[in-house]
Amino acid sequence: MKHADEVKRESGRRTRRSFLVGAAGVVGGYEFYRWIDRANGDQLLPYPLRKALNLNGKVFGEGALAPTYDVSKSVELRINGNYGLKQDLVPESYRLQVVGVEGAEKRPGYVADVTAWDYKYVAERAKYEGHDTKVAPKDAGGPAAGQATQKPGGNAGSAKDMNKGAATGDKTQAMPVAKPDGGAQAVGPDAPPKEGPGPQMTPEFEKAFAAYREARKDKPERGQEEAGESDSTLDPNTPGLLLTMEDVLKLPKQELVTQFKCIEGWSEIVHWGGVRLRDFIAAYPPARNDKGELPKYVYMETPNGDYYTGYELSECMHPQSLLATEMAGKPLAQMHGAPLRLHMPIKYGYKQIKRIGLIAYTDTKPDDYWTKLGYDWYAGL
Amino acid sequence: MEQEAETPEQGQQEQKPSTGAEIEAGQEADAAVEHAVGEVLPIAGALPVLNLVEAEPAHKEPVDGCEESLALERKHPLAIRWMHWVNFPVLFTMIWSGLLIYWNDSDNAYKHPHEVYRVGVGSLTLFRFFPDWFYTNRLWDVRYKVTTGLGYHFFFMWLFAINGVLYVAYLLWSREWKFMVPQRKSLKEAIQVTLVDLHLRKGLPRQTKYNGAQRIAYSSVIVMGLGSLVTGLAIYKPTEAHWLTTVLGGYEMARWEHFWLTIGFCAFFLVHVGQVVLAGWNNFRSMVSGYELRPAEEPSIEAKRRKF
Repeated sequence: MKHADEVKRESGRRTRRSFLVGAAGVVGGYEFYRWIDRANGDQLLPYPLRKALNLNGKVFGEGALAPTYDVSKSVELRINGNYGLKQDLVPESYRLQVVGVEGAEKRPGYVADVTAWDYKYVAERAKYEGHDTKVAPKDAGGPAAGQATQKPGGNAGSAKDMNKGAATGDKTQAMPVAKPDGGAQAVGPDAPPKEGPGPQMTPEFEKAFAAYREARKDKPERGQEEAGESDSTLDPNTPGLLLTMEDVLKLPKQELVTQFKCIEGWSEIVHWGGVRLRDFIAAYPPARNDKGELPKYVYMETPNGDYYTGYELSECMHPQSLLATEMAGKPLAQMHGAPLRLHMPIKYGYKQIKRIGLIAYTDTKPDDYWTKLGYDWYAGL
Repeated sequence: MEQEAETPEQGQQEQKPSTGAEIEAGQEADAAVEHAVGEVLPIAGALPVLNLVEAEPAHKEPVDGCEESLALERKHPLAIRWMHWVNFPVLFTMIWSGLLIYWNDSDNAYKHPHEVYRVGVGSLTLFRFFPDWFYTNRLWDVRYKVTTGLGYHFFFMWLFAINGVLYVAYLLWSREWKFMVPQRKSLKEAIQVTLVDLHLRKGLPRQTKYNGAQRIAYSSVIVMGLGSLVTGLAIYKPTEAHWLTTVLGGYEMARWEHFWLTIGFCAFFLVHVGQVVLAGWNNFRSMVSGYELRPAEEPSIEAKRRKF
């Protein structure tokens, strides 16, 4: 039997050693956390976290079929977010711009500049009094009300609903384009480039930018929401197709009853009708690039460019990716994205763009509205 | 923490109970629970060393003015300690980032899914998760940070999963699970332990490494961890893993389960930390250094371990 104080000495040695190692572990863990938190932002998210999201997108894939439900379980989808929809579109003025189609010049609907198409809006802003705001109408005393002072003011502010989730976060202040009040104005064509008062631009850039502004002179301002204008938006004089809804509806009709999931945390079963995106892509196939490869991505945006989304081509080929024209057996309402919106049960709602004005095939990973504000690019379910 | 390789042997030599009676005691430890010797052991530490002196004074040598027979017992293997402590900040990050995500739906005029996250019966709600003060107060503000929450949650989920899988794999490989999995008598023991904690009873059941309450709690929390991974996957990938989501009762149900498992972790944490505080320094230290000072007469953990 060992002497008790010998045992205690032994214990003391072990204790000191292990607590030193433990302290080093605590420091290491803290440094690890700081490394993430202070890492450079990749679209408002520290890049290790962004990398993890992208990795997850690859790991989990998006190949499975979403479960479908009986129509009797479906409801009319709640309206949540109105970017690109703030004015009612005159239906007759609708055209779907399609860019990057194989042999576009020989197809009906070809124009040398799709961006020249003038969408007409009902002069008055869409009267929308529904649940489209984070500020609960009957709950003025809640935390949301306290937040209201920080919200972008005016009409647009009260309607900016889900963007608060990203944009009022602590990182928002670092975002050059998203300032409460007037932030939208700051990103119009007359505003300085997005870098703001950063480094001086080269004369070449200034010249090109002046030409861009000149070309867009009499066009409505674009990118008036918090994420600003899309980097993937079309340059003036981009050739492509201008399709009518008649052209789109020539494709076989498809119905789908699936669960719509919002990243806010809610879900609803919705009955959709429309045409499959893969059928559309088959009818208007992407042109191959110089290497003979298909473009990797598809980019979509609203006619006014306020909302925009990006996808991988393979995701658009998913059999349940739907260019929706109907909801709950009725034509889409304007606030649901009439005349054409996307439904993709393999992705969260923020990828299911309403009122598609442009479908473009591209080899460059396109800009995406909520990705720019720190959300996952894939948003895969 | 130190290298483990050299220690078991060392430990054996140092602490090996020398009398046949003690080895017997070690073997009989499980069976001997019934006669919970009044002054034997508090829950997991803070040893009343002096009491035991009287119990068996035969071969004691006077040390520092008191008599005792101490052994340095290897209680927690190195791997278990590392994984335990790694899990602590990782699980904390998962819960914190989960809260940032959870808040997002409360900032919504519909407030639909949150209606089910409550304590109540029928139309009577005693508590809703969460009241406003919980989201924003002097200590924290979890509002409008959902992208941070999502980013951390879907990064740290890997660390949580990998650490958990390694932990279970180690338990199986090292057979430490035999200390941990509840036994037939564990429930009875757990009730006894609870009664002692509530000062309704005196005398804890005899134990080697863990008592019945600990066995049940630690095993449950591992199952809960698995549950969080499974329900989390069902929420994160309800299309890719739709079979899993369906098995769990659907998307909303999986969210509900994920939420209550998280509340369960928080409850576990509170009880766990409370018990560690009550058990005292010797016990806490063993989770860092691996070694606990125990009266040599106690049933030896290491002896038991070798018999697995």
